[in-house]
Amino acid sequence: MTPLAACGTVGPRIRLGVACGLAFARLRDRFLHPWLMPNPGPVSSAPADRDLVAQAAAGDERAIGQLYDRYATVLYTVAYRISGQRADAEEVVIESFAQAWRDAARFEPGRGSVAGWLTMIARSRALDLVRARSRRERITQTAAADRPDAPLAMGAWRGDPADALDRTERGRQVRAALDDLSPPQRQAIELAFFEGLSQSEIAARLNEPLGTVKTRVRLGMQKLRTALRPFFFEQSP
Amino acid sequence: MSTPDETSPRDLAAAYALGALSAEEARAFESYLATSPEARQEVAELRETAALLALSAPEAQPDPGLRARVLDAVAAGKVRPLPAPPATVPSWPAARRPSPLVWGALAAALLAAVGLGVRSARLADELAQRDSTIAQQTRTLAEQGRQLAARDSTLESVLSPGVELVQLTASGDPDPRIQLFWDRQHNTALLRASKLKPVPPGRTYQLWFIKDGKPVPSVTFNVAPAGDAVISQVSVPAEGQVSAAAVTEEPAGGSPQPTTPVLLVGALPKT
Repeated sequence: MTPLAACGTVGPRIRLGVACGLAFARLRDRFLHPWLMPNPGPVSSAPADRDLVAQAAAGDERAIGQLYDRYATVLYTVAYRISGQRADAEEVVIESFAQAWRDAARFEPGRGSVAGWLTMIARSRALDLVRARSRRERITQTAAADRPDAPLAMGAWRGDPADALDRTERGRQVRAALDDLSPPQRQAIELAFFEGLSQSEIAARLNEPLGTVKTRVRLGMQKLRTALRPFFFEQSP
Repeated sequence: MSTPDETSPRDLAAAYALGALSAEEARAFESYLATSPEARQEVAELRETAALLALSAPEAQPDPGLRARVLDAVAAGKVRPLPAPPATVPSWPAARRPSPLVWGALAAALLAAVGLGVRSARLADELAQRDSTIAQQTRTLAEQGRQLAARDSTLESVLSPGVELVQLTASGDPDPRIQLFWDRQHNTALLRASKLKPVPPGRTYQLWFIKDGKPVPSVTFNVAPAGDAVISQVSVPAEGQVSAAAVTEEPAGGSPQPTTPVLLVGALPKT
């Protein structure tokens, strides 16, 4: 599939900075042939994420299927990164979408994007699961060696190629933005996000003053926000 | 470059969005958040930033079978048996769960109970459904039996010896048409109407026998939307010379004398 063919399925979600979207828009503006763009067409065909959440809130479970198709990989990626176990990551993804289904009516668009909401649900569930596991291990004194599974088989997933392109591009940008932080800033932020440590716990773990950790988190996040604003899942109005 | 922080509660926005505040700190920050739209906007952006951190991890692909498991879980949750988590911070990280193990055990027990409940509710539903289907089929059978019996009796009255057929028509047209199967021996008739226009509300068709040159009121009837009707056991005047039968449209309930022109008429054979 060529990149432009992949663009054919691009939804209305804002994908600033995604090479595919930009190339497509440029082409569309320059060569607006009727046979190329017979109608507003593919660009406006897919429902917006928040419309899907509204449908789910109204009891339509197919909406969850569509959200799954868009974001399952993101949720699974963060769940696997946190838990290190395929079975755990799957459990987290299931629980996350079940929670999204239950809480759909409470989703507030003003608080952020649907993708961000789903991602943070998965992160919380994954951290809960890891904490439960480590507590269990402490209790049973087994300290079982939970090593990450073997490398993952790739390519089994049949997602929207445009979504995959989006994800890859965004991931590249996020890693680049993290590389631009000072290593201590990056370390503090990653400990908070992926290990669920509070600032005090980070300070204890690193044997640093709490104030120093707080400053690293604050400045690091501000810097990330500036760098990543063009790549947010949704742009604020 | 340690600028003195904690001069403003707003400095905690980043840690809050990242889920790096203690439960107590998070609660305090939320009460501040309620007072400041600017801070809410900032937190929204910082949350988007935090969510993007998920994509810094090496991409992992879920098993293709996971989609069906997710949808099953959602379908099971359609009953919505579990109270959803507190509304204040539905899904953003902040509060630490006091004891994940206890919660896990509780959740497992609840899930099992709910699973059993759902299953027995489904079975009960299924049984009720079957019962109602059987009852429906029994009713249908009884109804068909009744219709058959009625048809038999109609056939019998039409085919019994001595029954004569009288056709009532509008000036000889084939439709609309009324057939009177006249059982002269028992002074009864069976009326069968076809292709009659249904009458407006408050009106009815009425059958008349012309006896000794005068109309004698008989039954009133209405037709089905298709224009058909069957009336059995219509009494035919026994005394006197009955020369014809006719149909008019009358007010509901019928009239002692015809109030409208005759629509259909047919002569009865003389004895």
